[in-house]
Amino acid sequence: MKYRQKFTILASATIALSVVSVACQDKFLEIPVTAQLDNSQLSSKAGIEGSLISVYSMLSGRGDRLASFSNWVWGGIRGGDANKGTDPGDFANINPIQRYEALSTIGDINGTWVTKYEGISRANATLRLLALPTAVISAADKKRVEAETKFLRALYYFDLKRIYNNVPYIDETVDYATGIEKVTNTATELYPKIEADFKFAYDNLPETQGAVGRANKWAAASMLAKVFMYQKKYTEAKALLDLIIANGKTSGGAKYALLRSFPDLFKAANDNNTESIFAIQAAANTGSTNNANPEFDLNYPYNTGPNGPGNCCGFNQPSFEYVNSFRTTAAGLPLLDNSYNTGANQVKNDQGVPSKEAFTPDAGNLDPRLDHTVGRRGIPYLDWQDHPGQDWIRNQPNGGPYSPKKFTYYRSDVGKFQDNSSWTPGYTALNFPVIRYADVLLLAAEAEIEIGSLAKALEYTNLVRNRAANPASFVTKAGAPAAKYVISPYPASAFASKESARTALRFERRLELGDEGHRFFDLVRWGVAAPVLNAYLAYEGPKLPNTLGGARFTAGKDELLPIPQTQIDIQGKDILKQNPGF
Amino acid sequence: MFYRLLPATLMVAVMLLWGLSASAQGRRVTGKITGTDGPVPGANVVLKGTQTGTSTDANGVFAINVTGTNPVLVISAIGNKTQEITVGNRTAVNLTLEDDATALTEVIVTGYTTENKRDNTGAVSTVKAKDLTVIPSGNVEQQLQGRVAGLTVITNGQPGTRSQVRVRGFGGFGGNEPLYVVDGVPTGNVDFLAPTDIETTTVLKDAASASIYGARAANGVVVFTTKKGSKTARKLQISYDGQYGVTDPGTGQEMLKPQEFADYTWLAFRNSGLKPGDRGWGHPQFGQGATPVIPDYISVGGTPGVTGTVNLEAERAKYNISPALGGIYQVTRANKEGTDWYKAVTRSAPIQRHGLNFSGSSDAARYYVGISMQDQQGILINNNFKRYTFRANTEFDISKRVRFGENVQLTYRSVLGQGGQQDGQGVAADENDILQAFRMPTIIPVLDEFGGYAGTAAKGFNNPRNPVANREGQGNNQSAGYSAFGNVYLEYEPIDNLTLRSTLGGTYGSGYNVGFSRLQYENSENNSAFGYNESASTFLAWTLTNTANYKRRFGLHALDVLVGQEALNTGRGRSINGNGQSPFSTDPNYVTLSTVSPTGRIVNSGQGLGVNFSSYFGRVNYIFNDKYIFTGLVRRDGSSRFGANSRYGVFPAASAAWRLSSENFMKNLPWVTDLKVRGGYGIMGNSNNVDPNNQFSLYGTNLGNSAYDIAGTNSSTQEGYFRTRIGNPNAKWETSVTTNVGFDGSFFNNRLEFVIDVWRKDTRDLLYQTPIPGVVGTRYTAAPSVNVAKMRNQGIDMQLITRGRIGGEVGYEANLTGSFLNNRIVALAGDQQYITYINPGFRGIEPIRNQLGQSISAFFGYQTLGLFQSQQEVDAAPRQDGAGPGRFRFADLNNDGRITPDDRTYLGSPVPKFTGGLTLRFTYKGFDIETFGFASIGNKIFNMSKWYTDFYPSFAGAAISARVRDSWTPQNPGAALPIFEQASNFSTNTQSNSYYIEDGSFFRLQNLSIGYNVPASALSRIGMSRVRVFISTNNLFTITKYQGLDPGVGGNADTNFGIDVGNYPVTRQVLGGLSFGF
Repeated sequence: MKYRQKFTILASATIALSVVSVACQDKFLEIPVTAQLDNSQLSSKAGIEGSLISVYSMLSGRGDRLASFSNWVWGGIRGGDANKGTDPGDFANINPIQRYEALSTIGDINGTWVTKYEGISRANATLRLLALPTAVISAADKKRVEAETKFLRALYYFDLKRIYNNVPYIDETVDYATGIEKVTNTATELYPKIEADFKFAYDNLPETQGAVGRANKWAAASMLAKVFMYQKKYTEAKALLDLIIANGKTSGGAKYALLRSFPDLFKAANDNNTESIFAIQAAANTGSTNNANPEFDLNYPYNTGPNGPGNCCGFNQPSFEYVNSFRTTAAGLPLLDNSYNTGANQVKNDQGVPSKEAFTPDAGNLDPRLDHTVGRRGIPYLDWQDHPGQDWIRNQPNGGPYSPKKFTYYRSDVGKFQDNSSWTPGYTALNFPVIRYADVLLLAAEAEIEIGSLAKALEYTNLVRNRAANPASFVTKAGAPAAKYVISPYPASAFASKESARTALRFERRLELGDEGHRFFDLVRWGVAAPVLNAYLAYEGPKLPNTLGGARFTAGKDELLPIPQTQIDIQGKDILKQNPGF
Repeated sequence: MFYRLLPATLMVAVMLLWGLSASAQGRRVTGKITGTDGPVPGANVVLKGTQTGTSTDANGVFAINVTGTNPVLVISAIGNKTQEITVGNRTAVNLTLEDDATALTEVIVTGYTTENKRDNTGAVSTVKAKDLTVIPSGNVEQQLQGRVAGLTVITNGQPGTRSQVRVRGFGGFGGNEPLYVVDGVPTGNVDFLAPTDIETTTVLKDAASASIYGARAANGVVVFTTKKGSKTARKLQISYDGQYGVTDPGTGQEMLKPQEFADYTWLAFRNSGLKPGDRGWGHPQFGQGATPVIPDYISVGGTPGVTGTVNLEAERAKYNISPALGGIYQVTRANKEGTDWYKAVTRSAPIQRHGLNFSGSSDAARYYVGISMQDQQGILINNNFKRYTFRANTEFDISKRVRFGENVQLTYRSVLGQGGQQDGQGVAADENDILQAFRMPTIIPVLDEFGGYAGTAAKGFNNPRNPVANREGQGNNQSAGYSAFGNVYLEYEPIDNLTLRSTLGGTYGSGYNVGFSRLQYENSENNSAFGYNESASTFLAWTLTNTANYKRRFGLHALDVLVGQEALNTGRGRSINGNGQSPFSTDPNYVTLSTVSPTGRIVNSGQGLGVNFSSYFGRVNYIFNDKYIFTGLVRRDGSSRFGANSRYGVFPAASAAWRLSSENFMKNLPWVTDLKVRGGYGIMGNSNNVDPNNQFSLYGTNLGNSAYDIAGTNSSTQEGYFRTRIGNPNAKWETSVTTNVGFDGSFFNNRLEFVIDVWRKDTRDLLYQTPIPGVVGTRYTAAPSVNVAKMRNQGIDMQLITRGRIGGEVGYEANLTGSFLNNRIVALAGDQQYITYINPGFRGIEPIRNQLGQSISAFFGYQTLGLFQSQQEVDAAPRQDGAGPGRFRFADLNNDGRITPDDRTYLGSPVPKFTGGLTLRFTYKGFDIETFGFASIGNKIFNMSKWYTDFYPSFAGAAISARVRDSWTPQNPGAALPIFEQASNFSTNTQSNSYYIEDGSFFRLQNLSIGYNVPASALSRIGMSRVRVFISTNNLFTITKYQGLDPGVGGNADTNFGIDVGNYPVTRQVLGGLSFGF
């Protein structure tokens, strides 16, 4: 009996304890989230501004090397400016891409898609924050943030349009769980949407901005003009380009102007100069190399030791054909008949010549921009040393004898505009120009050629050309020009007809904007990609037989990348229609 | 509501049953049952031929009323032989039970209860404590390999590494680690345990046994208990176990020596259509000629391929290996004999382990104290493991019915130089220093002429980094983990047969790590700054458990009822880490986060609050007449891992067993000692594979993912906020439904025993991140885990033991375990055919696809039909990019006349179809010989390492494997390898294809030991109770067709394993040891 009593008490106590713990249980099972935010916390001004920052941050691709707006593969390598370079085994996904044998299953083709849409998603999230009734932001800031956001959204779509053509148009009205996966890639014409966003930005952005990295009114105008040019809307483009040339200024308030010296464009200390209309802002030593041009970290000469930049990995090696195109005549003009690829016009190179054997660089006439764009043997490589040729090339039979140069850092930049915190030192604070004033001038010249004044076109083109001809900007060696730089403005005769002007202008774009990710897209919008690139392959293939031999550009197919197979597998063939030929 | 009342209901049921225990009549007999360890509590005492019975109390004492003229008591207890005793006229009978060490009478410890395997209805295995100590691995989980049917362990040779431990397959796409329970305290990791402290190891495999752990049981439960002082008063006992030995790295893969390396480089030129004199013909080291010339120096101040003598004294003046002093200037001689890089990065590695135990007890107190140390060096330079442990387990009888006890272990653990994610588990998939050893051309010496490191800074050898320099650069790294693990408990027996127990357990852990990275100069791709990192972390996890256990026998009925409640937190804690570069001095005594350069110095920290669980459970075990056994159990768990919508899960299981051998019709089969058939069905849960934040939609900021230098400073960024996670408030438990049918048999008086289980485990509501389209913005946004997929695992587990004597002197025992496993993905979200976001890439090759109808982590790619033999064959074949003679010919599976991604197919599975172990033991007088072998059969390995060494254009200039001697030429059409050439394309080295797939089956003799036990007669003279010496060799040989270093290829994720980039091999050890006790 005694036990029974005890037990009853005990059992009652246990039951009571159980009841108590059941009552507390719901609270016990609520554990708060750490170090993360709820969407409602972002409706403050700081939250909205930060949301906008995150849209900017995707411009560099953040480590997806092919997804940056620098487009060194999609615009550069595919345009014949360069080949992948390096070693066949390194980043092998680019091998088929440079041969126009891209498969829809290549991860990097999906990576670019995903990264651009990450930017768009963040833009849409920012617009949704602005629309919240709880948003705490002044009307002026709201207008500016909305306009910057739409500028960026249009930019992402512009790249998607150029790279894939048909892609789903997602705006702030759809999201996860509200039908986003049902939006087809054929439902919406993209260019009107892109134009509308750039137009909104143009109408609503201030001329100057508190932070120089922000898009301003004229950046929006310039991009809008470019989009018009892609659609051959020359009238609209010309009107806008005239305005930009007359009134455009940077976010910092400086009137647009070409820098006097071409190589100054590619020095981190000169970031956000008068020619910088809109650039990806790069910063070194911030704690993440994703802020320091992560897409270029491999695009350096190879095995340089401490006497050269980067050390790794020899990607993006300029092509023989592109280097030849810098050949000039005695009159200082390019060989517009493409004869630069024949006989003695070809630029002498050190392919197959060991560094320890003597080599004399080309002695013929050259456009001085060659040695700001391409690293080649015997020519000073920035402030490092003379490019030693094969010793700095990882695999000449695979990539040829040249190294990229525009976006590498100077010895004097080390530690300041360069970041040592990762496995390779090839991270810089040098901004990448999404659009710069020379591009605008050449677009204006192009518009003039198509619907306006050939004289005006000549004037614009020669502005760019004259700047390149500034002898003070030449690469020098022992006090003298490092090569025989012969460059002159085009004579009026070159712009006597639409056809000849067009040829000259297109050539000038190539020389001026080389390795800046434009070439392939220019060729496609001009409708000449197949003949030009097959000619390039015909010349380049025998030089690099294992790399490009037998490759062919197929018209009607290779102008675009395939829609990523992964995305089709997720969304379905009826939602995402594959591009022709893939 | 029902479930909230469940504990109370069960409690009431217990009370009622207690009330039913009516008294009996007759003559009263009392007694005490003892075993080798003292009194035996809970022993069953039954009056033979009746239903009258009782069981012993905590002190082994019983009282029973006997009737009849010649009463006989049948006494049975776990771990002891059942014995009968004739009472006669006595009123007091005492009995000492004999140990019974057969498998079927082993003790099963579930963490909440202890029972006899004989009465068990589920699928449960135990491992002998001795088996956990034979091989001195740094992590006890490795020792389960081959010991337990149904348990797969894939491990590697790194000391202290974590392993892929899976009970009955792969239930989900991740989080498939079993739950470990140590002295009743659940934990995710047992790397701290000292094997000499372990008393019992029990593996709960099916729902009928494991569902008591409900939501965390689906991956099986491995229960360890540590040693205690004996229950009878016993004076101090001291025992020591020690061993010392060496791990031998063995030999690496054969690589081409310098001359052959150069010849094959020339062959690659010729096979690519080049002729001497062509552009592209030649090598910076070997010249431009028709035949290669091996240089005398591979670098003289950066000039490659120098032949002839060099004035070393003059060169010494120019020598510089410090970038701070200007250009690097090295002089490196060609090693014409060839460097064995594998030998250079490895070593014969000493290993020692010592354990010292003290135990004893008085009437009211018991204690066990264990001290252990293990110091094990890995075969790689600067790969070291150290563990020191201190354990104190005590128990005190506060009164006759109240006990208090504690188990606690303090541990220091240090692992240095380990490779691979998940604490070493992923080492095989890494481009680590073992791979580097097979990528470094043999012509490069380890050191240059003046003592600096040599490397690929000498031109022409592509990008491998000197692995010896890599390893030696880690010499100043530090790693320390400090932890305390244990529990305190109170047991109370308010009435006979009822035990109430309250336990509070927990883990405290903290760690501190310091690492340095060298500024390199010797490689083609160098670290350009001296780097430093420092990190610390701390956490505390706790578990509170309250149980009531009522155990009683009523005549022929035996009842065992358990109810309990448990609340736990999986660990809350914080961490901090920082890194920087370029301190003024690189002296490790100088370097701290404060002395690195302020430029680029970063400090981060993190915090976690852990996951809370609140649970109730109950279990009823009923045995009738020792013939029919029924067990029912249920657990209800609530977890903070899930949202309020579906936070609770209920996991019931039922099982039954029928002991045929107790039936009369079996009695005339005297060779059947025991035969039992079991069946169970039940539901278990798993929540490991879902982030606790999955229930929320979240935003955040991250320097790498969302910062931007909007102000154009060139050196700083502003924060950006972005969506980090899309939440799913409705996610719930993954549910595994298991069916298990088993037989336990024991024959010829236990000379032959077998256990066989046939099982199936269907996991439904499998959580995985359903693929969400890229348009949503998925780059940095975690997709919600949704309960959609299904997986099926099924198999057969077997154990066969035979023991006996050959002649009079030689004893033998053979223990064979084996398990067959079939794993298959049965359903994915919607009409998804594969998990789109798991495409791990290895240098552009994507070998894995988790697809419907195949196993997890299945290999995927093109099926090769051999090599193209001629251009005619190429022309006649389906169109294939890059096709050519000597290159891979892929199968056109859809017959559309061209090879496209649609032709890729399933190429094999890394999941072994069969794993098993065999232990053989012979004794002769004081000697014993024991051997243990392990086999894994039917798995495939994706030998990615061949990509680096067997194809010239995969980093041209890096080392070449000797395998290429059998590469294709028109004269060698039957070659195993494709043509050795420069081209890298779709048909050569860029695609995942069946060429890389190899059979991963192997048999390894894990242990062979010979021991000698000094006879008791001799021992008693010196006052010792036990002295044993042994020598053993581990991993004596491995039989396999696999071409890589070691066929034990794991991985750091279950959706991505079996890929060998640079596996760290399990290699041979030779050890000697001494044990004694007094």
